[in-house]
Amino acid sequence: MAMRELVTGGAACAVPGSSSSANPFGALANALIGSSSKTQERLKEIPQSTPTASEQQFYPDAHGHLQQLPGSEFEQPFMQPGTQSSDFLRNFNSVDGNRLLDNAWDEIQISQPPPMHVPQLDRIYDLGAAPQLQPTLDGPPQRVLSSFLHSFVESSRGGMPFRPAPLPVLGLSAGDKRCIRDRTSIMARHFFADKSEDFINGQVNALLSSLDIESDVNSKGPLPARFRELEDYWNESQAIMKPGAHATEGWVTEFNQHRVDHGDPNAWAHSFERQHGANGWASEFEQEQSQLMSADHMRGVNMANLAAMEQTRMLANTLAQNDDPKFQKSRFLQFVSKMSRGELIIDDNQVKPATSSASGDWAGEYQQQYNAGPNWADEYARGELSHGPNQWANEFASEQEQHGSVDDQWVNQFSKLHVDDWAEEFGNQVGEGILGDTSADTWANAYDEYLNEQVASKQHSDASRGVYVFSDMNPYVGHPNPLKEGQDMFHKGLLSEAVLALEAEVLKNPENAEGWRLLGIAHAENDDDQQAIAAMMRAQEADPTNLEVLLALGVSHTNELEQAAALKYLYGWLRHHQKYGVLARPELSDSLYYADVARLFNEAAQMSPEDADVHIVLGVLYNLSREYDKAIESFRLALKLKPQDYSLWNKLGATQANSVQSADAILAYQQALDLKPNYVRAWANMGISYANQGMYEDSIRYYVRALTMNPKADNGWQYLRISLSCASRNDMLEACDSRNLDVLQKEFPL
Amino acid sequence: MGSSNQLKSESLLELMKEHLTTDAGKQITKKIGLVYQINIAPKKIGFDEVIFTVDLKKGEVKKGPYEGGKPDATFSFKDDDFVKVALGKMNPQVAFMRGAMKIKGSLSAATKFTPDIFPKPAKM
Repeated sequence: MAMRELVTGGAACAVPGSSSSANPFGALANALIGSSSKTQERLKEIPQSTPTASEQQFYPDAHGHLQQLPGSEFEQPFMQPGTQSSDFLRNFNSVDGNRLLDNAWDEIQISQPPPMHVPQLDRIYDLGAAPQLQPTLDGPPQRVLSSFLHSFVESSRGGMPFRPAPLPVLGLSAGDKRCIRDRTSIMARHFFADKSEDFINGQVNALLSSLDIESDVNSKGPLPARFRELEDYWNESQAIMKPGAHATEGWVTEFNQHRVDHGDPNAWAHSFERQHGANGWASEFEQEQSQLMSADHMRGVNMANLAAMEQTRMLANTLAQNDDPKFQKSRFLQFVSKMSRGELIIDDNQVKPATSSASGDWAGEYQQQYNAGPNWADEYARGELSHGPNQWANEFASEQEQHGSVDDQWVNQFSKLHVDDWAEEFGNQVGEGILGDTSADTWANAYDEYLNEQVASKQHSDASRGVYVFSDMNPYVGHPNPLKEGQDMFHKGLLSEAVLALEAEVLKNPENAEGWRLLGIAHAENDDDQQAIAAMMRAQEADPTNLEVLLALGVSHTNELEQAAALKYLYGWLRHHQKYGVLARPELSDSLYYADVARLFNEAAQMSPEDADVHIVLGVLYNLSREYDKAIESFRLALKLKPQDYSLWNKLGATQANSVQSADAILAYQQALDLKPNYVRAWANMGISYANQGMYEDSIRYYVRALTMNPKADNGWQYLRISLSCASRNDMLEACDSRNLDVLQKEFPL
Repeated sequence: MGSSNQLKSESLLELMKEHLTTDAGKQITKKIGLVYQINIAPKKIGFDEVIFTVDLKKGEVKKGPYEGGKPDATFSFKDDDFVKVALGKMNPQVAFMRGAMKIKGSLSAATKFTPDIFPKPAKM
């Protein structure tokens, strides 16, 4: 089957037994269609040749520096056919063949995105802009190869699929092939920084198969001595990475099927297989990563952990640059360091210590095995390691400055690839989304978001966990008698002020139950049940049998729809009551059933029908069971005994509202507000009642009124927002989101 | 109410049920005209789910799966997350993005599932 057909996802290339979407080329083609309009090219800058053979590559010092431009050989009558091959290869072996690669690299680095219009280039581009971006392939091997590689790079720049043309026999040596393969793999990942791994592999494989590079005998050639440890590690990791290997096999098998089924003589899949066995460590690593990605159904979790580790490692580096000693010792940094070392993993949004036997966590194992001493991420984090090999980026930058020219830089840097660099390099690539997987490239962002959210929601979640959240700036701290002040404020109806004064009181006297209780009441009246619950829990700690506290806790939990907790506290009220305590049976407190508790309270009500409090608790209980008529009856009974209790009027109103008697509810709320004009909860409830009746404009006015009295009531803001959009007042949403009360009050006066 | 481990969502849906009998509730039925099935899990989506049908064609809320065919959209929530969405504490889109809300069925039906169709509980 023609490569083109494969690429375009022609019908013929559907893999038997799999849907056409499983065809990687289908995905590839889609990616290409999406990005084919990309860039104009600078042919001049495009590498003529991929690097060639040998260990020399890894020893930058050994490189000779040819001054001539690689392109200039073409101006001269080049070689006699007989000598072509060897000369060509010699030339090829000299690293300056890579010089243009360097240029290309720099281009990409410096001017990304590179839509530069140089007339000459445009012309060339136009020539190549025909459906096939292929220059004519004839002439001496070097020219052929050079053009061929040009077209590869060009296709990469344009984000076009690389469609290799048939090539004459070039007579490349095994070393050349190996080198071309390895370098192409690395380069491709830089060229296609924005492409998926499948696409990259496709491109590279297309190139390699055209060059007939697939000899695995040679590709298994000895590693340079310097990389001995890498090889050792590689062998280890191969042993560890069984699942990954399986995945690879799956891949290869699939493509072998292709080959068999369609008799594709080019055997590019074969070459892929060979390539995978390459000694190019970096490329193998990347390949392996891509395999893992594509096999994430098998190893998704580990991959995520791996990516997380790499990412954290980068984070640790960045953070380590902060010299604040406090920060350096912070738990956060330790956390990040631990993450980066794989001692902690994130599983299902929970941080867990890594199990040392996690078979897939090979990067972590690598860290442990390779680094006998303190590992590098850790060292980085402590800022102890400021020298050479680890600082790839720095070195790169400084060398660029020193040399001024673009001489061999990235080649050198790549050749020097140090043990420590790969992690960073890989981390960078993950960061750039080279691996193409959304989970990888959004990881950093997601993590940032997660942290922000954590910080932002800290208050809220603390409160919901029952932890009281104190105000930041409290003028009453240091006040001689904040409790007295708070009580005065509370009785004057200045709830928010009372909250501050009472906070100062409980900061001063954390065991003051009355301070906490009144604080809780103030919060409840201020329409903030979470803080009310938090404060009341502290009050209960200080005074476990306080009936008012127990009732308040029962009410607040009912409001928060937390039935079990509400029931517990209401039963607690009965149990600790002087008179009704005898009714309580100790065995009940373990497993409370609503019916039992309700029966006990009915007994209590019969004992003393003149006690308003029993009726109040009963009313709350009936709210829990949604027996609203009974609840209304209880509250009415209680109101006969306590007509001045504004909170009781509110309870009646709320019950009526919840049993969809909104008109009655509003009357009850009005009673409450007549008794206590600053009763924020009643104002908010008014708003709710109007909203539930579909009278959104009215509800807005009441919400705004409530919020002017307590802008900290998040609920109120959320409800206001809903009413605004229901009332088609989207013009005011911004004021709502920015909590701009001045604007809202002016717009919605009551 | 037998057990004390009742879902918070159930309280809200009961309120919804009452609400749909009011004039304002009938407006909602008229406006939406779709059937939603809501699967509420106490702790983890997909586990121990309690199924509710919010029929905004007829204006009914029922416990149990929809019996009149296929609901226009089915949502899965954790108990807490449903409450957050219904009370406007969490935007449905955000909930969906975070995986706190799973949607099955028509997306256009799902986009009509907004906090304003739910009545808000009054507080004592």
